[in-house]
Amino acid sequence: MNVPMRLATIAAVLHITPAVVLVKRPDAVQALLPGADAYFAREVHLSTPDAHRLHKAVEWSPEDGVLTFYVGRTGSAAVGALEFVRVDTPHGPIEVAVGFTPQGTVRGVLVTKATVEMKPWVLEAVGAGLTNHYRQLKPGDTPNGAAAIAGQAGDLAVYIAGEVDKGVARALAAYGAFYTGSA
Amino acid sequence: MLYDLRHADARIKWLVTCLLATLGLSYVFGALMVSLYAGFTPRGVAATYRGREMSMPMPPETTMVLEHPMAMAEFAKPETHTVDTNLLIQDTHVHVPMYGMIAAALSLVVVGLSLERRRAFGLITVLFAAPWLDFAGMWLTKFASARFAIMTLVGGWAMGLGYVVVAALAVQQMWFSRERS
Repeated sequence: MNVPMRLATIAAVLHITPAVVLVKRPDAVQALLPGADAYFAREVHLSTPDAHRLHKAVEWSPEDGVLTFYVGRTGSAAVGALEFVRVDTPHGPIEVAVGFTPQGTVRGVLVTKATVEMKPWVLEAVGAGLTNHYRQLKPGDTPNGAAAIAGQAGDLAVYIAGEVDKGVARALAAYGAFYTGSA
Repeated sequence: MLYDLRHADARIKWLVTCLLATLGLSYVFGALMVSLYAGFTPRGVAATYRGREMSMPMPPETTMVLEHPMAMAEFAKPETHTVDTNLLIQDTHVHVPMYGMIAAALSLVVVGLSLERRRAFGLITVLFAAPWLDFAGMWLTKFASARFAIMTLVGGWAMGLGYVVVAALAVQQMWFSRERS
């Protein structure tokens, strides 16, 4: 860990800054489920063994043991599904929205929330093309946005990209294991 | 006692005044931050730490799927800021040491005030008990009952009250007391 990262970690331990909304949820829904005119919340209440399996796969348990997929449809046609995943970092939480096509590949990723401290890191990472590297990923793939932008962004942007990678990995694992039925 | 703020050097009085002003500023913004997230009502605090009321209080034996329609307007509803167990562990880890240092700093001011011993003991106890109540309330709200939200509110108000009492007494005794040097 280099010096700026060490200093940032020390600062984070001393204080976590307030959360900021980077993309409002309705805007994220419209961007990741384009053209949908009907929405459904599909709540998957995980059994203990399934929750354990998910945790083992991606070191994550959804809040209250419930995965929520937001499903978009146009008439009877499926538009896709969307998850909001929170990642707790030493600097506070970020929220990542991951949209899927009806074929089950990633349509797009948006970082919807961060903290005041992390906001510039997120913007730099996104400006370096971070979210482009998640498109077309499918369950079983490993997101590697942080490595992809390593030469084009600063250390803190790359660090936060690693956290976004975690969020996308969680969404992929949850979608692959527990999203069933037509999108 | 040698340490008496009324008769302390003006530089010490100025140091204490600056400390109190700085803590006061942080308390004002702390209160604003609370108003932005948990709020000042037992209901708001309970919603923050208890989380959403679960339709299934225990994990089901087999994974179950429930689906319901959503209007776009529902996505725009202001979300209740919730603090889950992981975040509460992190908050406790970060805030409690800082609250301890603030309580210690204010207690050092209390020790330098002209107060009856029992009142000083009482004030120091309040300064340290308030953050304990604050965080105990959060944990109990999460794991025992939403009714404990009131404990967090009492702790928060006690922190503010403790600061106001110490600051008022210190400023009065240091700068406005007839007995000052």
